[in-house]
Amino acid sequence: MPPESSTTPAVDSTVRSFRIQKERTRILGLTWDECIQGFFGGNAFVAVIVLGLITFFLFREGSSFFTQNRDNLTIYRQAGLEYVDFGRQQEKDHAALSRYLSDLRLRTLRHYTDQEGLPAKEAQARLAEFDRFADRFSSASKPLRSLLSDLGDVAVDIKARHQNNLNFAEKRRQLLAAGKTAEAAEVELVPIDYAGEVAAITATLPDFAEASATFAKTLEDLIATPPALPAPELTERLTRFQALTRDYLAGFPATLEAMKAWDPARPVPLAQSFTAFVFGRQWLTASFWQDWYGVMPLIAGSLLVSLIALALAVPLGVGAAVYVNQLASPTEQRLIKPSIEFISAIPSVVLGFFGIAVLGEFLRVASGWSFLAWVPGFPFAERLNALTAGCLLGLIAVPTIFTLAEDAINNVPRAFKEASYALGASRLQTIIRIIVPASLSGIVSAILLGLGRVIGETMVVLLCAGNRIAIPDFTAGLGVVTQPVHTMTGIIAQEMGEVEPGAIHYRALFVVGLLLFFIALLLNFFAQKIVRKYKVSIG
Amino acid sequence: MSAPANPFAPRHGSLRRAETAVAWAFRSATYFILLCGGFVFGNICLKGLPTVTGAFRGLDHFPYVTNTFLFEAPESLYVFEHDGKKVEMGDAEYRAFREAETARAAAEGLPAPKFKAKSYVYASGGIWPCIVGTVLLVVGSMTIALLLGVASAIYLSEYAREGPFVRFIRLAILNLAGVPSIVFGLFGFAMFVLYFDWNVSLLAGWFTLAFMVLPVVITASEEALKAVPRGFREGSLALGATKWQTIRKNVLPYALPGILTSSILGIARVAGETAPIMFTAAYVVRDKLPWEVEKFGDFVFQGVMALPYHIYVVSSKIPQNEYTQRVQYGTAFVFLGIVALIAGSSILLRNKLRGRYQW
Repeated sequence: MPPESSTTPAVDSTVRSFRIQKERTRILGLTWDECIQGFFGGNAFVAVIVLGLITFFLFREGSSFFTQNRDNLTIYRQAGLEYVDFGRQQEKDHAALSRYLSDLRLRTLRHYTDQEGLPAKEAQARLAEFDRFADRFSSASKPLRSLLSDLGDVAVDIKARHQNNLNFAEKRRQLLAAGKTAEAAEVELVPIDYAGEVAAITATLPDFAEASATFAKTLEDLIATPPALPAPELTERLTRFQALTRDYLAGFPATLEAMKAWDPARPVPLAQSFTAFVFGRQWLTASFWQDWYGVMPLIAGSLLVSLIALALAVPLGVGAAVYVNQLASPTEQRLIKPSIEFISAIPSVVLGFFGIAVLGEFLRVASGWSFLAWVPGFPFAERLNALTAGCLLGLIAVPTIFTLAEDAINNVPRAFKEASYALGASRLQTIIRIIVPASLSGIVSAILLGLGRVIGETMVVLLCAGNRIAIPDFTAGLGVVTQPVHTMTGIIAQEMGEVEPGAIHYRALFVVGLLLFFIALLLNFFAQKIVRKYKVSIG
Repeated sequence: MSAPANPFAPRHGSLRRAETAVAWAFRSATYFILLCGGFVFGNICLKGLPTVTGAFRGLDHFPYVTNTFLFEAPESLYVFEHDGKKVEMGDAEYRAFREAETARAAAEGLPAPKFKAKSYVYASGGIWPCIVGTVLLVVGSMTIALLLGVASAIYLSEYAREGPFVRFIRLAILNLAGVPSIVFGLFGFAMFVLYFDWNVSLLAGWFTLAFMVLPVVITASEEALKAVPRGFREGSLALGATKWQTIRKNVLPYALPGILTSSILGIARVAGETAPIMFTAAYVVRDKLPWEVEKFGDFVFQGVMALPYHIYVVSSKIPQNEYTQRVQYGTAFVFLGIVALIAGSSILLRNKLRGRYQW
């Protein structure tokens, strides 16, 4: 019997049944309520756990990329591919010069047919001298090319045998793991004498030097007697060509020095594997020669597309936010806000399809209109390029920027606005001098979050950005926006399905993912920091 | 002596003109956005609608009418010339036709006819497996996300006291919301598909999508819980109910409509995302429908076709021409229609519910 009943004997049984129960069931020393609280608290922790798991798995899959890439770069050096690449670079530069010449030929031909009105046959005949010159120029590299091709074959052969050995070692490991010792012993690795075999390549240095010298001599003689061209503008280009060729020839001794100093045994530091990824200007996979994992072209592509998107979305989104919050009538407000939110619900893959089917084609046709010829980069031939993707990404970023910026403007205390009016400021003055500055921190963080949304967007860029893996040619000025690019998100979506888990390419994609993850976190961090630090409030 | 000018008279001048001009600039920016969105929407609806409306066929048994685009599997389209006319046929029809023609020619003693057919994959038939797959993905992932999300929101809004722990959780939620969807795809691939060895499966897709949409659900649920007036809780507690009884009887029932409507926005996000399911749950093509599995246990370990991924496939892997346009626009229209319906109803319902409990 509870003690209190003895002190209050008059309480009848109906009242007693309403008395609050003090005893509680305890599970592991916790009351029932505490258990429930713990359960909910545990669930709340899921977000933290997921974030942790994402970080963990991205690191787990991506981290060994750098050691694998070091091996990749080591064999590039050991097999002598690096050595041969000195010569190949020379050859490539020469090919670029040849392209300059054929471009010049095209211009000259156009000059003959369009400005002098010659028939095609006559124009071709007049170009005969130029053609002989161009032919001799481009065929001058033949001996050098055949020498390099022989050397390249040797180097690729060493690399192929190295790869075979790796495969055999893996096979042996698997057999041993399966307990088949006898079969494992049969798998034989063919040892490769890297130093000895590469010595055969480097021994050809005198040959190379000689071929290179003859090559240089031929070119020098050739450019001393350039063909005559019909217009001063064209001659100027030819002079420029001569200068370029001289610069090119001046680089020969340096290449030779580099080849002499080259040492196949020099180890590749891990830092180099890192810098080759971060600053690498080539993303080249499944190549017979050498795979490169340089993230620069992807970052450049992502940035270019995002900048185009923001350039479109920031004025529109912020402008709309100001309008809806400050100028629009209540009816307009009620209609516009949900409509813009509705735009954010359009799935990105549908927008991507729209880009392929409608917008890309429209922009290409529009770029050919003569009254738009002043726009940099117009006209363009590629229907899918950074501009197409950027326009659609702009549409994706607008609702994000609009909603957050509108919130920020809405949070400006009423008194600010009223004080401004009371001092005689007009509506425009109030908006530009008071409202926008007071909500600037919110607007900037809205823009940052919009940028995060745009950089992380996948389907639109995968479908519409053109997917050419190269750093856009920024020398084209603003016209760079009409070039096709590839992005970080796009490359993951495109190549992830084709790679073998555990291979270096697979790991490289995870490192790109990790990079994206940190960019997103960083943008988020700054957006929050700006809001907290520069928040304007009353008092 | 003239009367002093009225200092409050409206001034006409450059300032006034500038004001009107800037107001118009802001207004045109707003309407330009709406115009762009409306154009995308209208273009896809206009070109996609005929695909669906043109696909109704009569049946001689129960529903008596069916839609071949909505309720059939995708097929290849064959285009060839026959008797001087251009004929388009789906895969099954084309095979039957070719056999019939060959048999007819053989019966008449003529050499077998030759068909020079051009084929376009996925350009005929319908998108039924994709619709089914998308529905399955949405239902599964939203169930997981709602269970986890609502529980988190209850903790954050009812139990938690502001402190470093809660700030940490909020920070995590905020950051999770900013993680790009493709990163979720990579994570799902690494963890569920490879590490847990679930392969490309519904289960992997469910968890990947659920984690992606978790921040949306938590934020929406917390807002709905916060909208329930304090008095409801205090009244219940004052009557002697425990905390959990209060939440169960006096908070959740009033917050539930809000939680559900706002979470519909999460559904739109789940249904609309392609990148996270690309490597975790989606197949380019699959003959069997999801319920045609041998064992019941295999159900969650199978990949499915999904609408967003199908749009990606038909818009990037097959050429754009008059024959493929039907299925491209049709799929985009159906998908956009579904997502728009979900998002639209969410926005409408939310505006209705906003400020319903104000004491």
